[in-house]
Amino acid sequence: MMAIQGHALTRRYGGFAALDGVDIAVPAGEIRGLIGPNGAGKSTLIDVLSGRAGKGASGRVELHGRDISALGVQQRRHAGLARSFQRTHVFPELSVVGQLEVAAMKAEAPNVDEVMHELGLGALALRRAADISYGDRRRLDLALALIGKPKVLLLDEPAAGLSMGESLALAEHLKDLVSRWGVTVLLVEHDMEVVFSICHRITVLHLGKVLAEGTPAEVRAIPEVVTAYLGSTA
Amino acid sequence: MDSGGATPMTHHAALSWRAWGLIALAVAAGAALPPLLASTLVLTLLTQAAISGILATSVGALLRMSGVVSFGHATFYGIAAYLIALSIKHQWMAAEAAVVLALVVPTVLAFVLGLGIVRVPGMAFSMLTLAIGQAFHEFAVKARAVSGGDDGLAIALPPELFGLPIAVFQRPHSAFVLCWLTLAAVIFALYRVAHSRFGRITEAIRENEERARFIGYETDVPRALVLAISGLVAAIAGVLFALYNAFVSPEVLHWSLSGSALIMAIIGGPRLLWGPAFGAMVFFLVKDLAGNLTEHWQALIGLTLIVVTVLLPVGLGGSLIRLLAALRGGAAR
Repeated sequence: MMAIQGHALTRRYGGFAALDGVDIAVPAGEIRGLIGPNGAGKSTLIDVLSGRAGKGASGRVELHGRDISALGVQQRRHAGLARSFQRTHVFPELSVVGQLEVAAMKAEAPNVDEVMHELGLGALALRRAADISYGDRRRLDLALALIGKPKVLLLDEPAAGLSMGESLALAEHLKDLVSRWGVTVLLVEHDMEVVFSICHRITVLHLGKVLAEGTPAEVRAIPEVVTAYLGSTA
Repeated sequence: MDSGGATPMTHHAALSWRAWGLIALAVAAGAALPPLLASTLVLTLLTQAAISGILATSVGALLRMSGVVSFGHATFYGIAAYLIALSIKHQWMAAEAAVVLALVVPTVLAFVLGLGIVRVPGMAFSMLTLAIGQAFHEFAVKARAVSGGDDGLAIALPPELFGLPIAVFQRPHSAFVLCWLTLAAVIFALYRVAHSRFGRITEAIRENEERARFIGYETDVPRALVLAISGLVAAIAGVLFALYNAFVSPEVLHWSLSGSALIMAIIGGPRLLWGPAFGAMVFFLVKDLAGNLTEHWQALIGLTLIVVTVLLPVGLGGSLIRLLAALRGGAAR
């Protein structure tokens, strides 16, 4: 059973196609990495799947077999699709617990305590988001997406701005968490250590199209991928 | 909701019993003021300040709850006043029903307008409210057959309203108490809204509208509702103005009235529920004191605004709270 599927996903800006007829299918329970150079269309794909891409987007999005293409971002969230953002997207003047509670008010299964515990935010509960560190805000951004235990989680560079140690720790924790909660993840990440350490499969985008797809080992072995993106990192 | 052991918290901390006691004392002191004041002139000024305080509170509520600035709140204030005048003049309905109508119509208008303009960002929103307000003002000036034009309309109020002699609404001694208690009730109601589920959602929308949508909230209707609540408060001020003065003219729709209310809110501190009302009291105090010395009293108001904006961004009310907190901290040490 596919948790999330996209068919012929396209996003045009005038004559330029940032995403050009992409097909993607992620089975339930899988952590799928989405890699590619800058401008490949990774964040655009996340935007199209989550309903943020606007009127220039086309294609069909299915969540556990249900066509959600016509739904707005709120309805997609209610259907079980959550996302985090490349730049931290929290509520700066609200306390950490205050904003998680606001998110929980909309959730069928509120789990503020559980999420705060899982992401180690308990000690920061009463602090304003504006007053906590960047790394903590990234975890809060992730926590907001995890409220209500979504079925599918779209993560747009969750480790951006973190040190290598913090990134790997977050990745391992994330892998453990989504495994226990049964969440399907589509992960955009530039840190290849993170991607290759936690993803079951990887999709490579290049110039708005799918260049390759496979297990981490298979992707590392594709010469076009190495040339286009991985370089010596592989 | 499972908030789990974690302490539930909104940005506005709940008030302590001591704070509630102080507020009750302030409300009672205001209500007890008229017998102690011999001057009708001062009471007239205080009544005007209380009515303007309600209007400034409406502007402040919009700023605090939605983070947007309105230059057109006189629209809701003026429409309420005109609706009372026109309903009574044309005997459309009983005066009590006219008061209800004068509260409902601006509220609904604000909501409908809100649905259309809440997505307009920042300064453009402010300019739109200005344009809409001025359109109503121009209509009031030009449509003489309806509004009386620049001459305005005298309101022939009945001898009694809601079972009270009409003098209660018009004599400064009783009118001040009425307006003061209404102001207190409005601030209390807004406090309850701020601490409600709806208040927490609007706070989140104000802070980050896109993220609010991505955690599942529809944001247009709540923002329009905030404008409607704010419009209702402005309409309450407009009703009190009409009942107190028994006269209405296009000035009640003019942008300068909206601007004054905004200045009062900024001087007092728009982040505080009572800040705009406090700003209104300061505004009228400065206006009265400076008005006795010079006809250019607006210059002093402008100077006050500059000083507050540059040096006291939290307003006089916010600065007062900080000062009291510092003094309390000093005393504790």
